Amino acid sequence: MDKLGQEWVSAAVDGEVEEQVLAELAADTDSHGQWRDYHMIGDAMRGELPKMVDLDLSANIAAAIEAEPTIIAPKRVEPAQTAPARKSAGIIPMFKQFGQYAIAASVALVAVVGVQNYNQTSELDSSPLPVLNTRPLVGSASPVSLQTGPVQKNQSFTNEQVMEQRHRINTYIQDHMLQQRLNNSVNIDDNSDISPIPVNH
Amino acid sequence: MRLIWLALLVLSLPVSAREDMSAKAWLENMSQALRTQEFKMSLIHLQSDHIRPLVYIHGQVEEQEVAFLEHLNGPPKNAVRVGNTVTFIEHDQPAYSVEADRIQGVLPPAFANNISLLEQGYQFVLGGRSRLAGRPSQLVRIIANDDNRYSYQVWLDMDTYLPLRYDMLNLDKQLLEQILVVELIVLEEAPTILHEAYKQQWPPVMPQPKREPGNNWQFSWLPSGFTMILKDSHRLIGSHEAVEYIALSDGLTHISVYVARAPETVLPDELMTRNGLSLATERVGNAEVVAVGKAPVETLSRIAKSITIE
Repeated sequence: MDKLGQEWVSAAVDGEVEEQVLAELAADTDSHGQWRDYHMIGDAMRGELPKMVDLDLSANIAAAIEAEPTIIAPKRVEPAQTAPARKSAGIIPMFKQFGQYAIAASVALVAVVGVQNYNQTSELDSSPLPVLNTRPLVGSASPVSLQTGPVQKNQSFTNEQVMEQRHRINTYIQDHMLQQRLNNSVNIDDNSDISPIPVNH
Repeated sequence: MRLIWLALLVLSLPVSAREDMSAKAWLENMSQALRTQEFKMSLIHLQSDHIRPLVYIHGQVEEQEVAFLEHLNGPPKNAVRVGNTVTFIEHDQPAYSVEADRIQGVLPPAFANNISLLEQGYQFVLGGRSRLAGRPSQLVRIIANDDNRYSYQVWLDMDTYLPLRYDMLNLDKQLLEQILVVELIVLEEAPTILHEAYKQQWPPVMPQPKREPGNNWQFSWLPSGFTMILKDSHRLIGSHEAVEYIALSDGLTHISVYVARAPETVLPDELMTRNGLSLATERVGNAEVVAVGKAPVETLSRIAKSITIE
């Protein structure tokens, strides 16, 4: 830094340069020491020196600022990142497994229903009235979900008997559905001659 | 400004007329709308384990009612109605026609019929308003008079009176079945598909299977409003088992009663499916009485027990 430069810095300390020049000065790290020294000299001349002079305050502050993010950030971020990761590592696989079981179960259900439907159609095809598809257009006889009845008796049934029972239930339900289609045109008031006998209550 | 007030007044007049309408009047308007209006509905049929999307188109061609119902998912399954003939077009068998005044399945045929027929078994109660398929709608509850049948509720479009939602509820007010309209398009005239359906040569109406007159069955008890609409003896499809058959109905609920020779494998006394369909069996000597229908299983059981022969 030549003499002229030193004068610049001195002028800057006294607030006699423009802002742009000041910015240039700020970019010039070599002048920072001079800047500090001139300030110190000015302070000494005016008798404003503190009792203890920290000669490298600006450097200390710069170091503190630089150190700050690196010290604080890990303190806060590290525990926040690691803790949930551990938790989710425990939970997610469990859900995944459960979902897989559920999917497997639903596939099995579909397979069972599908087989039953297939059986029904093959029986229908061999019936003397092949034109009648008793499976309704909307609303099929969905698989039986709840059965209240002689459960103990059922347990003694053979597999064949259960199949036969199921088949007979299906036939009745199918016939019921078919009758809905066929009797659709029969209105209640068409058959006024047949009257119910609601005697008891 | 005065014009705006006038317009508001004109708009509010029909609305206030609607405020005074009874629940039965709403249903009667629905019945008429279902028979006369031209519209296209996209709807979803919901049961406990089924969701089916459907399209229903209804209109009039040369003063005849023409309707078309199409299943959107799965193998093609359609039904066409021209006048009083319904033709079922399904993928696994040749098309066939039956005589019927409604396509079974979308909504209870009774909804397009004389509403007064339902009054014996049900009460009609107006509910609140809500918005369905983007349209304001009015809820009408069809409440069973007793515990022998299920209740229903239907939401009607305030503009056209067409049903936008239909629920069937069990005795605990739980949903058994629902039909939900997702889009309703009111048409100016019958669309081309209905004109084509009208022109199309459909298979002739299938001769009714020979109905031999059955025995003179009677019931010592029936829920009020239920009447016998049909009696015959026929063979069950599939098993060829000869049965005596009695059809009971209160307009909305249809119950089939079968009397057959008791087979070796006994049926469970009571059986329910999650969509409301139930089955009850009663053994009388060497005969087996089976009642099937969308009704509480206790009702079916009691009906099966109360059959007598004269």
